Amino acid sequence: MTTKQLIQNPFAFIGVLLIHTCRDARAFLTLVVQTLFQLVTHLPRKKETIQQLYFVANGSLWTIIFCVCFAAVVTMLESSFHMKLVIQNDSMVPGFASLLILRELGAIVTALLLTSRIGAGMAAEIGSMKVTEQIDALKMLGINPIRFLIVPRLIASTIGCVLLSIIANLVCIFAAMIVADQFLGYSNGMFLTAMRRFVDFQDIIFASIKAFCFGFVIPLVSCYFGFNCRTGADGVGRATTQSVVFASVAIIVLDFVLSYTFSYFY
Amino acid sequence: MKVETKVGLLSVVAVVLIFVFAYLVGLVSPFSDSYDLNVMYNYAGGIEQGSPVRVMGIKVGKVKSITFVPDFKMSGNGEEVKLQVKISVEKRAWPSIRQDSRFFINLAGVIGEKFLEISPGSLDQAEFKNGDTLRGEDPPRIDQLISQSYGLAGKMIELVNKNEGSVSSMISQLDKLVTNFNKTLVLLEKTSKNKEMGRLVDNFIKVSDDLVYLTAGLRSKKAEESYDLIHKLLFRLEPLDGPAIRKFLQQEGIKAKIL
Repeated sequence: MTTKQLIQNPFAFIGVLLIHTCRDARAFLTLVVQTLFQLVTHLPRKKETIQQLYFVANGSLWTIIFCVCFAAVVTMLESSFHMKLVIQNDSMVPGFASLLILRELGAIVTALLLTSRIGAGMAAEIGSMKVTEQIDALKMLGINPIRFLIVPRLIASTIGCVLLSIIANLVCIFAAMIVADQFLGYSNGMFLTAMRRFVDFQDIIFASIKAFCFGFVIPLVSCYFGFNCRTGADGVGRATTQSVVFASVAIIVLDFVLSYTFSYFY
Repeated sequence: MKVETKVGLLSVVAVVLIFVFAYLVGLVSPFSDSYDLNVMYNYAGGIEQGSPVRVMGIKVGKVKSITFVPDFKMSGNGEEVKLQVKISVEKRAWPSIRQDSRFFINLAGVIGEKFLEISPGSLDQAEFKNGDTLRGEDPPRIDQLISQSYGLAGKMIELVNKNEGSVSSMISQLDKLVTNFNKTLVLLEKTSKNKEMGRLVDNFIKVSDDLVYLTAGLRSKKAEESYDLIHKLLFRLEPLDGPAIRKFLQQEGIKAKIL
């Protein structure tokens, strides 16, 4: 059906949209299943995995630290401002701001930054390989492109996201501690006492589980769009954009689901 | 530096940071030096695991665990206490806690945080040993108190409603009583200022003075001797009856007309 016909017939438009969505979802799920199968049945390529881990974790470290420091500063100052506005007292701010950092901020800021950095990178890389028919060449050589390309990225991204989220959470808390000391007048001891009132060790475990899930989703979405890239430079750009958008949306939705689930453990 | 080394270094940093976090939230405390105490309650008023423990208002530990022990009896008096709150207390506060210290559950802060307060004991009492079990002071059941006072208020209202007439008449009578009492008081005040009344009081005082003099005379030594003499005389006169007295008087040759 042409675009003109689709516009004239809205039912056909909805139908085509539905069919395309189902087709894409099926293709994505197939890719996920194939990747998991390859992950379980074959040992990963060690060198490639470490290279990817270096690209994911070490490469993103400073960007993430820089960003979460600012996120912590904003969280502290805003929470203090709001609490002073509402109950004229911000003594609880260090406690619940650190809980907020651990439950939400650390993992999600890390994941979104990783999406924009490595998600886009992976989609562009695999997209160009697809456009230049390197993936077909791999198939010709009898190499499974999923095992060769996606599995190392998946492992690296998952491990990297967990490591980075732990570092981001702790850096965020230290930044919040410094802000509380310098701007709000709460000494480090007071900050830690207030933090202990709300924060438990399980919080960092939950944050790591979240980071694990986010790290798992990013390469799958990016590689899916890379594999289904249309020909031409335009196709690669489109695939990159779509991968970042879809991965970000997936992370936000997944964050809601996980937060809702974890709230039963409190 | 090789790529593997850098990645390994990052992983080590992350693992170390997890331990740092565990230390910060108090999950692992390798440098801590604290003792444990088991405080028994029947009602713990909403205290939670991790709630602070304070001695004289200073935080010195936390609640480590709360366990239900349905068959526990205190060793001293055999009292059944069913809730065991295990607390840790830092060594620096340990000498302040003695056998006569009391373990309260209190409420503090804007959000109503619960904590376990330990009152300092007296120096002549012995210190506790690590892991001792002792009885805490059950906090008052505010909810129970409120429901009881609510019930009481309801009953009072019911009582007043049922006996509305008698209650109002009682109040009016009380009012009259108070008015009368007030009048009496006013009269008394006036009387105390009256001249005749003053004279009466003066005379009364004089009479009482005389009475004092008289009674003092009655208690003097002479008076006592006179009582003795009279007593002896009466004793001697006791066996005498009418004929004996007549015979005596006849022997004496006295004729008394009166006999």
